[in-house]
Amino acid sequence: MSDVTLTIDGRRVTVPEGTTIWDAAQTLGIDIPVLCHDPRLDPVGVCRVCAVDVGERTLPAACVRAVSPDMEVRTDTQEIMAHRRVLTELLLADQPAVSQREQTTGDDKLYALAREVKVTDIPWPDQSERQPRGQDASSPVIAVDHQACIMCDRCVRACDDIQHNDVITRTGKGYSARIAFDLDVPMGESSCVSCGECVAVCPTGALTHQSLATTDAG
Amino acid sequence: MKQFADSTNATFSDLTETATLCPYCGVGCALNYGSDSEGVIHYAKGRDGASNAGRLCVKGRYGFDYAAHPQRLTRPLIRRDDAYPRGPLSTFSRANSSGPRKPGGIVDYAEVLPHFREATWEEALERAASGLAKVRDTHGAHALAGFGSAKGSNEEAYLFQKFIRTVLGTNNVDHCTRLCHASSVYALIEGIGSGAVTNVVRDVENAEVAVIAGCNPTANHPVAASFMKQAAAKGTGLLAVNVRRPGMASYCEQYCQITPGSDVAFYNAVMHVIIAEDLHDQAFIDQRTEGFEALAKAVKPYTPEAAEAMTGVPAAQITAFARRLGQAQSAMFFWGMGISQHVFGTDNARCLIALALLTGNIGRPGTGLHPLRGQNNVQGASDAGLVPMYYPGYQAVSDASVRERFEQLWNVSLPEQPGLTTAEITHAALEGEIRGLYCMGENPFLSDPDMNQVRKALSSLDCLVVQDLFITETAEFADVILPASAFMEKRGTFTNTDRRVQIGRPVRQPPGQARQDWHILRDLAQRLGHDWDYADESAVFDEFVQAAPLYANLTYDRLGEHGRWYPCPDANSEGERVLFGDQFPIGRGRFVPAELGQAPDLPDDDYPLVLNTGRQLEHWHTGVMTRRSRALDALAPEARVEVHPSDAKRLGITDGSWTTLRSRRGAVEVQAHITRDVALGTLFLPMHFREAAANLLTTPELDPFGKIPQFKICAVALAPLSTPLTPPQPDAVSHAAG
Ligand code: SF4
Repeated sequence: MSDVTLTIDGRRVTVPEGTTIWDAAQTLGIDIPVLCHDPRLDPVGVCRVCAVDVGERTLPAACVRAVSPDMEVRTDTQEIMAHRRVLTELLLADQPAVSQREQTTGDDKLYALAREVKVTDIPWPDQSERQPRGQDASSPVIAVDHQACIMCDRCVRACDDIQHNDVITRTGKGYSARIAFDLDVPMGESSCVSCGECVAVCPTGALTHQSLATTDAG
Repeated sequence: MKQFADSTNATFSDLTETATLCPYCGVGCALNYGSDSEGVIHYAKGRDGASNAGRLCVKGRYGFDYAAHPQRLTRPLIRRDDAYPRGPLSTFSRANSSGPRKPGGIVDYAEVLPHFREATWEEALERAASGLAKVRDTHGAHALAGFGSAKGSNEEAYLFQKFIRTVLGTNNVDHCTRLCHASSVYALIEGIGSGAVTNVVRDVENAEVAVIAGCNPTANHPVAASFMKQAAAKGTGLLAVNVRRPGMASYCEQYCQITPGSDVAFYNAVMHVIIAEDLHDQAFIDQRTEGFEALAKAVKPYTPEAAEAMTGVPAAQITAFARRLGQAQSAMFFWGMGISQHVFGTDNARCLIALALLTGNIGRPGTGLHPLRGQNNVQGASDAGLVPMYYPGYQAVSDASVRERFEQLWNVSLPEQPGLTTAEITHAALEGEIRGLYCMGENPFLSDPDMNQVRKALSSLDCLVVQDLFITETAEFADVILPASAFMEKRGTFTNTDRRVQIGRPVRQPPGQARQDWHILRDLAQRLGHDWDYADESAVFDEFVQAAPLYANLTYDRLGEHGRWYPCPDANSEGERVLFGDQFPIGRGRFVPAELGQAPDLPDDDYPLVLNTGRQLEHWHTGVMTRRSRALDALAPEARVEVHPSDAKRLGITDGSWTTLRSRRGAVEVQAHITRDVALGTLFLPMHFREAAANLLTTPELDPFGKIPQFKICAVALAPLSTPLTPPQPDAVSHAAG
């Protein structure tokens, strides 16, 4: 495989053909914000937060777009910043008021992004007021809050492609689309083996650990 | 308009993430514990370890809270004078007690604690040291024995065996490897000269086929299983052989369900086909092995048709299996307790080794022998000499020159007499030959076969010192209980199934007055007149490396956060993944032919079914840790015996109904789980549950080479609970709690 040389934010970089823009940026230490992608997973480009400017009519998602020779990539134009902020606001519009992930492992990626792009007001309607998406507390170890789910598919890929347990899938259409277990049974009754990989990869409070910390006996 | 409300939790800014390991299985997953300044662990996160690449299973992810369980021992305990004669103290440890449990299913402290009193460390150590010394002075050193633990670090294992050998003066030191892969290790040392795996689990991605023999990795080595499943998704052909359908079967090209105890017939027939169809690797056989003729002769009678009658697997399936394996460019062999835990466990393992030699599948990427090691440090504990026949590094106790070298290193004179193994120690206690036992982190009462005999054996001792986190079933019999440290409270090295040596680091302090296990060993040695002095764990490790050239070039500094494999040829090497590319430690590999043997304790009219025992995903061994983990206990709170639907129907048993399960040695009451995973006429009972203790039923017969008990076959009768039990045998042993 041959190498490809391109420019990202004015810096030249050479990577093997087929590398994604997101991975190429990583080699330069440029961290393009992203929610649906994790280096352990095959990219799907659904959250669009990692969109970058390559001089085309639209903004491609860096996590899936492969580099091409002499590509000129910008990751920080005003347009991109605005795009990121609006996407973040839209995702936040129907999030629960408090992130369960911030309460259990302290690493909600959506909230971190909101802080990074300095979201204050959320000028978008909150659909959950009319159509709440529900919770599933049937597993003794994993708490499911569909309201916090952004349908990034990370858990589906972690369950299928990392742990190969093939439990999680998607179901429904439109605003009622959500993740589901087996043939849409409560998680605690499904074939889930509680490995917790879905919790580990979930970027929001949708899949979190049920509280486990105990106080010391000593 | 809605505002963004930052819901950061202040707790998390104070958490420290410590790079350490999972305390459970031999996969040895690397993880970070997020803990606060009080030592409370809030979560476990997978870390990029060589064996797990960030993955964890349910035990690693959720099973860490046992260390903070309210039952943790915080002060040394001494048995009260009125609690003699020695015997079991809690209901489920007594004879003829089984059935519906109290919540949690763990030893009931209200029943047990009144028979002990708290003591100072000074008094407890004195009592332990003088108790052991008294046995030695009256009955001789060989009346003493020690059970160390594969849950402890290499340093603890090394010091424990050193204590038993140099301070007490006997080679009677062993641990649960004897109940696990002792037969595999025997066969490996005999066949290729090394008892460890020849290749790492993750190399399965380079294998064209992989044999998954007598093991259930999705339950027992879940993260290893995820790499096997991943390889299967990318084209590796998985071939499973088992008596009970393993979860992995769904990902396999072929699954052969053999009848219990027929492994040798199956593999001999596979070798028969491979030789008959000229699929063997003649070049490898010529250059690297010896004894091929004898093997070819031995497998000759095992035609697929003959084997069909012995194994229940159709001849055509055996032939297909042999062809797929024989034609593959590379094959790995994984196996577990279904191979090893038989009176002919060594023969079973010999067959797999022969199969690998026959097909030239050792020493290249995507090939190799991999007995999946159970405990997080069972490889390391064996490496460190926690076995009766070897000093650290598999150097034979019976070799006078080796013994001399160790006498110089340790500056003592060492016993010549070879030591007894785990089950032999129990048997010797029954004969009155073993009078004192020091038990560090093992729970033989539940883990050893034929619990009624173990109960008698423990009751008959003159001195029992138990060092553990909790009052285990075994500790109920103790004179002295020494409160020890949990995995997440200690620093030490642990060697996983891949031979990867990694450092575990503490994230909390032992509760109350509980102490580091190696400090307790050091203090006892000093009390008994041995001048032990180590600056810290790494100094112990350095002495171990000096004793065992196997671990050459490893130090704490070099292990760092990610560890290395042994053997490690030089200071800059990562260690070796694939071993024996050019030759075996014994030169040529040896074919050791095996004939199908007969298991003891087979079914008859009174005991018509075959019981298989083993583990389940959420639990660990005798449940001491996992049943004290809230998450794991909630996921799997009780024992279930697996019954085939046709057997269930015939016996009038429904899913979830209570049954009596009776063997020639005892009976338990347990709920039924109806599943086609078990074959008709066979049952499966997990070993973790004291209120339905599988080892009350199992038979104590041993493999003659590996000395491993036959946990996988015992004849039983199953009946709905309404049928009256056979009259209980009078309890031969009086117990203090009467
Ligand atoms: S696979 Fe083994 S080492 Fe890994 S998390 Fe599970 S129990 Fe722990």
